[in-house]
Amino acid sequence: MSEGPPTRADGAGETVESGPTPTAGSRFGRVAVGTWLFRAGVGTVFAFLLAPIVIVAVTSFGDSMVLSLPPETFSTRWYESFLDSSRWQRATRNSLIAAVGTTVLATVAGTTAALGVRNLGGRAEGAVLGLAVLPLLVPGVVLGSSLLVFLGEFGLQQTYLAVIAAHSLWATPLAFSVVRASLSRFDPRLREAALDLGASPTRAFVEVVAPNIRSGLFAAALIAFVVSLQEFVMTLFVSGRDTRTIPVLAWNSLRNSLDPVVSVVSTLLVLVVVLAVVVGSLVVGLERLAADT
Amino acid sequence: MSDVDTAGGMRRVRSVLQAASGGISRTKLLLVPLLLFDLLVFVAPMGYLLRISLAERSVGGGALQRGTWSLDGYQYLSDSSVVTTVFTWTMLFAVVATLLAVGIGTLYAYAAWRASGATRTVLLAGVVMSMFTTLVVKVFAARVMLSPEGVVNDTLLAAGVLDSSLLLVNNEIGVLIGQLYVVLPYTVLAVYSVLTGLDESLVEAANDLGATPVRAVREVVLPHAVPGMAVGGVIAFAWSAGAFAAPLLLGSTSERTVAVEVQSLLGQFNYPAAAALAVVLTTVVLVVLTLGIVLLRRRGGLRDV
Repeated sequence: MSEGPPTRADGAGETVESGPTPTAGSRFGRVAVGTWLFRAGVGTVFAFLLAPIVIVAVTSFGDSMVLSLPPETFSTRWYESFLDSSRWQRATRNSLIAAVGTTVLATVAGTTAALGVRNLGGRAEGAVLGLAVLPLLVPGVVLGSSLLVFLGEFGLQQTYLAVIAAHSLWATPLAFSVVRASLSRFDPRLREAALDLGASPTRAFVEVVAPNIRSGLFAAALIAFVVSLQEFVMTLFVSGRDTRTIPVLAWNSLRNSLDPVVSVVSTLLVLVVVLAVVVGSLVVGLERLAADT
Repeated sequence: MSDVDTAGGMRRVRSVLQAASGGISRTKLLLVPLLLFDLLVFVAPMGYLLRISLAERSVGGGALQRGTWSLDGYQYLSDSSVVTTVFTWTMLFAVVATLLAVGIGTLYAYAAWRASGATRTVLLAGVVMSMFTTLVVKVFAARVMLSPEGVVNDTLLAAGVLDSSLLLVNNEIGVLIGQLYVVLPYTVLAVYSVLTGLDESLVEAANDLGATPVRAVREVVLPHAVPGMAVGGVIAFAWSAGAFAAPLLLGSTSERTVAVEVQSLLGQFNYPAAAALAVVLTTVVLVVLTLGIVLLRRRGGLRDV
């Protein structure tokens, strides 16, 4: 393989093409090799993406304090210690409270803004779009520290409010984009027709707009929920002992030593997310979910 | 002018005004939740952070002296050689992570887009699942996987590819792999979402006209994918410049990032310096992103000509 076969997408074949024109036979041969290399590469990335999930699922059924892969004996003892642990139960409850709060806040703010921004046009629209998306581009540690010092002034650090506010900083822009994408597929003349027929703007939204962007609204809520469940960096800064979520407690446990209960919790967390994705793709369609986020 | 005319005119004017103001205020009302939220939770805290970065550090007790103005925080940063080293390393790391994420992400998105039926669903599900897994779990699993006795080394040793284990954690490689776990799903989906707008038969046509797959991708798919690659690149750079979990769990002390440094300054109760570093980091990230987008736009414009 002195000149290296062309792979399909990364442009690695460019240098090869500058040589003398290959004969048809060798070209097809190289294309075939390239195709296989390409597939192997994609397969590796796929395995790489899913490996963490497999690892936590397998190690959660281990039997010793030491993580071994695969475990020598299988047991559910770490699941039992999870159920017996008040720390983990508290974290689970906190995660749910934060996720529900974030879902409500982000979906409402994101949806109303997506509806409102359409009628603005021009510079004002650009400004709102920019402001809406900007928090996503500011490092989590910066957002976390700013919230910590700012909310600290009002004694609001380490409250649920602080956690929900932090999670919504990232969930709202995503909910906003999803609903906006969904609205762009909606024919505005339908709403105008409803208004012409005498419906109030509110009624037109409830009866005409909402049913048509239902999948978008659902996807927005789902994404907000999951973003909140998995957010970690900002939560590390703004949560306290009583309000810390699952990822933060997992982080704290891992800092000391490898804790098999973390595998259990991670597995359960992944299960919740799988469930959400399955429900989401049944309602919205996976391709839409993937394309809109 | 008769009274009737005046009354009718007034009514018309009022109704026009009402319609206009009603339309505007309703639009504005819809924006209120988002604007209020961003003002309270984003703009005000960031403004406060900026203010703190300009306050005097309090010596002994308390994190800062309220109401004072000073450049001590910034002075501390420019005096500290550690901060300069950390900053340079972080930026370099962010660039490498971004290039890798966009490259691999585009490849994967293209594969998912070209695949059909079940394969496409499986490939996309893999990305969505990974995106929805908390980064603590991903980084933790990466540590288990990459450690000298981990799966990766075991497999490579067993396959005879390696003679001795590779050191994949507590160094740059570990941090880079961990960070790819964080950003790769987003770059894949950013590229995939723009590819869905491209007609697949164009690639077939290019192939039929004798283009090699590489050439078809370069001339048909890539130009179309550029906006998605740009969005993915923006996200990847912003998050890698702010990388925190991966460096802490998969790196050693020589892989400290700016974000880690901010946290440790906060821990030392040097609030002005921590705030100053956060402000500098945010500014640099936003400036780099703006420059990148402007540059890309200009090049995109040239391509169209």
